[in-house]
Amino acid sequence: MAVLFGKLVFRLSKMLGYKGSSLPGMVALKIYPGFLSQISKKLDRRIVLVTGTNGKTTTNNIIASIMRASGYKIVCNAEGANMINGIAAAFILAADFKGNLNHDYAVLEVDEASFPHVTKYLNPEFVVINNFFRDQLDRYGELDKTILFIKDAVKKLEDTVLIANADDPLVMRITAFSKHKTVYYGVLTKSEEQFVKAKETKEARFCPVCGSKLIYDFYHYSQLGDYKCEGCGFKRPDLDICALEVKLLDGGICSKVCDRIHKMEFEIKLNIKGFYNIYNALAACAFSRLKAIDVPIIQKALFEYKPVAGRLEVFYNDEKEILLNLVKNPTGFNEGIKTLGSIEKTKDVFIAINDNHADGIDISWLWDVDFEFLADRGDVLSFICSGKRSEEMALRLKYAGVPVEKIKIIKNMREAVAVVVNEKAKNAYLFATYTALWPVQRYLKAILKSSEKEQRACKMK
Amino acid sequence: MITVCHMYPDLLNLYGDRGNVIAFLKRCMWRNIPVNLVEVGLGESIDFEKIDFLFLGGGSDTEQNLIARDLMKRKKLLSQAVENGLVVLAICGGYQLLGRYYRTLDGKEIPGLSIMNHYTVAGKNRLTGNVAVEIELDGKKHKIVGFENHAGRTFLDGVKPLSKILSGFGNNAKDGTEGAVYKNVFCSYLHGPILPKNPELTDHLIKLALERKGIQQELLPLNDQFEKQAKEYILSKLL
Repeated sequence: MAVLFGKLVFRLSKMLGYKGSSLPGMVALKIYPGFLSQISKKLDRRIVLVTGTNGKTTTNNIIASIMRASGYKIVCNAEGANMINGIAAAFILAADFKGNLNHDYAVLEVDEASFPHVTKYLNPEFVVINNFFRDQLDRYGELDKTILFIKDAVKKLEDTVLIANADDPLVMRITAFSKHKTVYYGVLTKSEEQFVKAKETKEARFCPVCGSKLIYDFYHYSQLGDYKCEGCGFKRPDLDICALEVKLLDGGICSKVCDRIHKMEFEIKLNIKGFYNIYNALAACAFSRLKAIDVPIIQKALFEYKPVAGRLEVFYNDEKEILLNLVKNPTGFNEGIKTLGSIEKTKDVFIAINDNHADGIDISWLWDVDFEFLADRGDVLSFICSGKRSEEMALRLKYAGVPVEKIKIIKNMREAVAVVVNEKAKNAYLFATYTALWPVQRYLKAILKSSEKEQRACKMK
Repeated sequence: MITVCHMYPDLLNLYGDRGNVIAFLKRCMWRNIPVNLVEVGLGESIDFEKIDFLFLGGGSDTEQNLIARDLMKRKKLLSQAVENGLVVLAICGGYQLLGRYYRTLDGKEIPGLSIMNHYTVAGKNRLTGNVAVEIELDGKKHKIVGFENHAGRTFLDGVKPLSKILSGFGNNAKDGTEGAVYKNVFCSYLHGPILPKNPELTDHLIKLALERKGIQQELLPLNDQFEKQAKEYILSKLL
């Protein structure tokens, strides 16, 4: 009954022009709160939950494509609808009108704050915990509490295997004390391409066991790296799945992956930029190897993986490369700035900041982002600030030391996108917060489509 | 030379408060006022007599407890410096620490530095949102904006408030005050951060720091177009 209503709501909301990714779930849960545990029982715990601050969508989607490639029929909340309603909606859309589920596995990304709520209904086979960074504080209170809530929720799970990022001491706050079997992944050695600036905002600096300050052999980025505690001897655990010799290529990443559980090594190559994606790939490799999926299938799925909207999505306007990068917190933004900095061509930078509820109404975190890195770079020709908080963004850039004449405020997003596409530089790099992402993507596609038509018309003449 | 001291920059770095230090430094540099920055971590030594402007931010619970312990060891020296007119900006957790105590939900009183007379009591829900206040500096009234996010309710107990609330919760969601002032110590709950969008306050702090060094100088006016626009957005949303 609840499923049926959910499906009707989905049809209706689609007809009204919404994406329908959460509303059906909300309705179904209202009608029958127990439906989620009932429907998931049919899967008999064949569920993986992916949580953490950054990379949930990418990790989840990589896992989903590997599973699909190896013949699983899966339930997946691919649109990033990762709170309880979105997860309920994923099951509703997968089930038939009688509420039967004809699927083999559920691959679900779960919002950190919703995790304890979701695990009340679902008892997963695997939980992937990727990282914790500061994110939308006004919604979650503070990071410490979020981690504590997840830790308590994990404690209640039975026979769940944890797949955890060993490079993040904040993740260790959960797994170091857990009785659950834990498989650790991480980047074994310092990769040459990475650079770490002392100023960068780092989240965890304290030992999860005794509270002393952690000493790092090296950082990959933010607080991720090889750490140890001089107080109690706690250190980064041995890695079960690890990356060696991570290389950033033009347009992608490649690395050797060592699977120490099965004592074997293989190469992976991804066609997505950004060093941080190695962690998303490693999480997916760890999961897939635990599910005994063959290496060639994993390699192929990773190689063919295409980013979803805004996860460094690439567009072209003639010769000009345009990158779209969703930003939610300082760590993700800093990684985006590093990726931008590694592009050798000239570029124009576009930043759209909204302060709607889904973005986080507090945008103070912009002051924790290292825009100073871009201040005196001659290859960045202009900065176009857009969205509801375009003025604050412009102010941040000014205080980062960017020459004021390079900064433009164009509040209207459609106009701002048109300006950046037509600027002189060979590359355009677009940053957008959550609710700015969809409009920016839509305007961008519309502009590119019409300029394509124009070009065709020119050629016809 | 103006010396700015950022206390515990790697611990108290929540909510973008380092923007306050950036704003103070930049507005000195743009006017060719020589300025340098000293960053002080846990257990590191510092001579408050050599400091002209001290910034103390807020952190999450873990960090807050660590710095409270560290600051207690510096209590006497910091207190002396404050009595001698040290210019201080303390935000959120830093503000609470300068007072008498913080009473947790289960009634435990965590002692503060008692440099000022205010005290803080934990509340069940967090007071969160954009804020607009009215502040008086050198007899002139200004509107100041920021973002608050605190569970503590601070009661001034005789300390002078920094400003009066136009929109938002402020010190305790009851008495219509926000922040506190004692000598040259300015305390506030406002993140945002507070200084970049409110250059009147930043320049006031710079002037006080210069005066304390015996330098009487009118500050050169700067082009504050972006500052005004960023502030205007919050004001138009709230008022």
